[in-house]
Amino acid sequence: MEFVGKSVNRVDGIKKVTGSLKYVDDIKMHGMLYAAVKRSIYPHAKIINIDITKAKKLKGVVDIVIGKDFPKRVGLYLEDKTFLAVDKVRYRGEGVAAVVAKTEELAHKAVDLIEVEYEELPAVTSGVEGLKEDAPLVHPDLDKYKWAPIFFPKEGTNISNHYKLRKGNIDKGFENADIVIENDFYIPHVQHVPIENHSAIAKMDAEGFLTVWASCQSPFAVRQALSVAFDIPLNKLRVISPAVGGGFGGKAGTTLEGIVIPLAMRTNGKPVKLTYSREDEFVNSFVRQGLHARIKTGAKKDGKIVAVKNEFIWDGGAYTEYGVNIAKAAGYASTGPYDIENVHSDSICVYTNHPVGGPFRGFGMCEIHFAIEQNMDIVADKLNIDKVKIRKINGLKPGGVTATGEQLDVCGLQECLDEVVKDIEYYKKEESNEPNKVRAKGIAFGFKAPSMPNNVASSAIIKINEDGTLHLLTSAQDIGQGSDTVLTQIASEILSIPPEKITIKTGDTDHTPYEWQTVASRITYCAGNAIKLACEDAKNQLLELAQIKLGIYKRDLELKDGNIVSKIYPDKKVSISELSLGLSMPDGSGIHGPIIGRGSFIPPNIRDADKLTGLGDKPVAFWTFGCQGVEIEVDIETGKIKVLNVASCFDVGKVINPKLIEGQVEGAIVQGLGTALFEELILKDGKVLNPNFVDYKIPTFDDMPKMIIKFVENAEETGPFGARGIGEPSMVPAAPAIANAVYNALGIRINSLPITSEKILKALKK
Amino acid sequence: MKNFQYFKPKSLKEASEILSKHKGKAHILNGGTDLIIRMRDRIIEPEVVVDIKEIDELNSIHLNKHGELIIGACVNLNDIAHNKIVDENYDFLSKAAHMVGSSQVRNRATMVGNICNASPLADTATPLLALDAKVLVYGAEGKKEISIHDFFIWVRKTCLKIGEIVIGIKIPSYSNDILGDFQKISRRKMVDLSTVCGTVLKNGDDIRIALGAVSPTPIRLRKTEGFIKGKELTEEVIKKALEVAVSEISPIDDIRASKEYRINMTKVIIKRGLKKIRQKNLALAEG
Repeated sequence: MEFVGKSVNRVDGIKKVTGSLKYVDDIKMHGMLYAAVKRSIYPHAKIINIDITKAKKLKGVVDIVIGKDFPKRVGLYLEDKTFLAVDKVRYRGEGVAAVVAKTEELAHKAVDLIEVEYEELPAVTSGVEGLKEDAPLVHPDLDKYKWAPIFFPKEGTNISNHYKLRKGNIDKGFENADIVIENDFYIPHVQHVPIENHSAIAKMDAEGFLTVWASCQSPFAVRQALSVAFDIPLNKLRVISPAVGGGFGGKAGTTLEGIVIPLAMRTNGKPVKLTYSREDEFVNSFVRQGLHARIKTGAKKDGKIVAVKNEFIWDGGAYTEYGVNIAKAAGYASTGPYDIENVHSDSICVYTNHPVGGPFRGFGMCEIHFAIEQNMDIVADKLNIDKVKIRKINGLKPGGVTATGEQLDVCGLQECLDEVVKDIEYYKKEESNEPNKVRAKGIAFGFKAPSMPNNVASSAIIKINEDGTLHLLTSAQDIGQGSDTVLTQIASEILSIPPEKITIKTGDTDHTPYEWQTVASRITYCAGNAIKLACEDAKNQLLELAQIKLGIYKRDLELKDGNIVSKIYPDKKVSISELSLGLSMPDGSGIHGPIIGRGSFIPPNIRDADKLTGLGDKPVAFWTFGCQGVEIEVDIETGKIKVLNVASCFDVGKVINPKLIEGQVEGAIVQGLGTALFEELILKDGKVLNPNFVDYKIPTFDDMPKMIIKFVENAEETGPFGARGIGEPSMVPAAPAIANAVYNALGIRINSLPITSEKILKALKK
Repeated sequence: MKNFQYFKPKSLKEASEILSKHKGKAHILNGGTDLIIRMRDRIIEPEVVVDIKEIDELNSIHLNKHGELIIGACVNLNDIAHNKIVDENYDFLSKAAHMVGSSQVRNRATMVGNICNASPLADTATPLLALDAKVLVYGAEGKKEISIHDFFIWVRKTCLKIGEIVIGIKIPSYSNDILGDFQKISRRKMVDLSTVCGTVLKNGDDIRIALGAVSPTPIRLRKTEGFIKGKELTEEVIKKALEVAVSEISPIDDIRASKEYRINMTKVIIKRGLKKIRQKNLALAEG
């Protein structure tokens, strides 16, 4: 292949490196107005009264909206949220009113003048607490909400989804086990910390056409939610995502877009902008849900695990329109990448009075693997079995069966394990040069499937220009992962046109075709397939015309260097540019017209699982399997951990762009390292105590380990050129691998993230 | 951020007059890395901001005729950290300067700003305390020197009066080779605030210890120093010294660390600092 599998430079590289790319907050328009949000000071309270009279009188204030003005509930999977609070607030920071004014300063001043009278309610401040019978109800009207039928909210409780998986006979499984152990883990809330804060602009013209510019991963999902919330028909609502400076899930679905629209409806055509502060990012966009995990394992002496009983309790926050699906995804992946006969899992999403939980790179997998993979090491130690060996025994293999009963044809997990064991030199003991430091290694598995509805749709359009260059239209968003480049490469490969002759256009619901969302590590796979189909459609049109032109049957023609060439007589050819507007016939007439390829794709044959047992033979598009090994050094006097080396290997089916995929995995390793060692939203009585970079730490350049990154390529049958997703899976084993190395170094288990120096010292002193 | 009046005087006299005139409502702007953030967060809302960066005499770092090191108020931390005189004579001071914030911050932030902020965990305060530095101040009555030991009053409070401007820091001339060790324990190695920081310094037979983030201001541990004085640094002496040190500090629990962890880190910093000195003593004895 000429373009696929090559380290093509990023097609968006120059504009990003030079800073010439315009992000939403860079956009300035004539007459632009600015929004600010009045936010709740209580985690849970009834709104008694909102007095906006003083604020409205402030010169320069254009208008003010409150939640009651637009009370329609929306949500991706469960319609439980309004963009501004109605009747009560459910987290500290929730918007209760929004102001639009001539300047940002005035908008903020007006916000200060809004007086809100509350009646404080008792708050739910953990998932476990929220499950208690006498817990205050965050959503007392849950039974009146609408949701997709694959979710299971329980009215009269704080449970917004109770996912159950029942496989085999769990009691018998434990009876047959030689050992049974139980472990608890806790994973706190973390935040995505994208380099670009959320930003949105809305503008409504005189005819009621509304345009929204948003830094979002999913312009079509945003359009859908806004259309429902504000009763705007889709043909009058245009969402543009000009550029996204990092998403990681935080810009999936909708967040602040719904705040600017109602304001823009009242400004006589003037655009309204709202850009979140960093503090807003931490509190008022999405956060990763907290998790209490309990795993009970039954194993035989020979290392075979025969029964697993899990309980995952998610701290979903104030609204779980998106989070319910994280509980589901964690549920059907609840055993980790292991072949286990008897499984009993409950994954419960619980409403709390915490910031809104939502999608975050890994979509539940990073959290549950922190528990699963430490637990696996604990089981191995208990059985006195090598930690690599226990993964060899129980890890999934081709022909193996997942927790939901899906039999796998392809699975490169064991190959990944072998590679990582070799690359990290797992069995080679290293000594530190310093007496107070200890070195050790750890490994962990990780797997993930795209967590998306079964029938999510993608589409693409390819237009061939008169000079043989192309425009590729898609609504897949380059959120930093490199999709613009990889998708261009796929088009290049099929149409034999080099990437520099292709311009990719994304993220404009009026002009680029439908794409569900840029989430779930699904873009190379889903959008890639749509683009492949669009290019094949265009190619077929070219061949049809070329066979007339050349007098050679299309079976014997191929595309090469921008020409349609005979496979048998290589000098017989016609250029793609010559056919771009159709074929000119010898008599001067023409046929066909411009070549436009179209491709539509839905992943094939994903089916609903059984509602009672959760069992299903094809619940997901594919699984991406892999392994990470780490070497750490711990200072036993200070508790400081330094991650020295990391080896990562994943079965990605096909590497489309080696340089980009390596970068993506490096990013995943380091983001995982951050969650392992530093990151945590410190919550007290519903308040985030560290909504800033002073006290919320992410890794710096200094924390980068040496990284060895490898791939296994067992093709995904339905993937473009065999490719499957990698963006999220590669982060999944990062934190547990470090936790396992900590145990191997010091003999202590840290069952909660982050693994701080303080926790290490405390455990050492025990 | 609230609107404010901005002045950029060219002389100390002018600057001091503006500050006096707007009593308590004016704030000096130096590097701005703390001030601007506190203004943005509306913790302080000065009506007048007096930028002192264009006052010539505040921008140099040099040895005066008495061999004392003068660090001007507006010299940024990167320039201090990379200054040859500082690095050759007081490498621990240069290390402390290097450990403040990020490189971008250090291109703006100054050492004088760092101490005027009077944060209990100011990284550059402990080497200055250990060096018995003087704070050079300009006020209505002219210039004066304040001992660094009298400078910090409480959390974010210095002894400065309205209208006074710190124009620099003076480090006395030492006849001995100074051996010092700056250590910083933080959650993340780079670009973080100190959980505990400290300087352990040897000047002749004199051992000095200063710590940050263990009491309302950065402090010298005089009792511990007194205990060590004249003693050989055996394991036993070090162990006992650590106990004395713990009795001298009053760390707090906060979201960055527990009191207990700060006590433990105090011990680690002092132990490591003293052992470094012991090693040097041994090397000197042998060499």
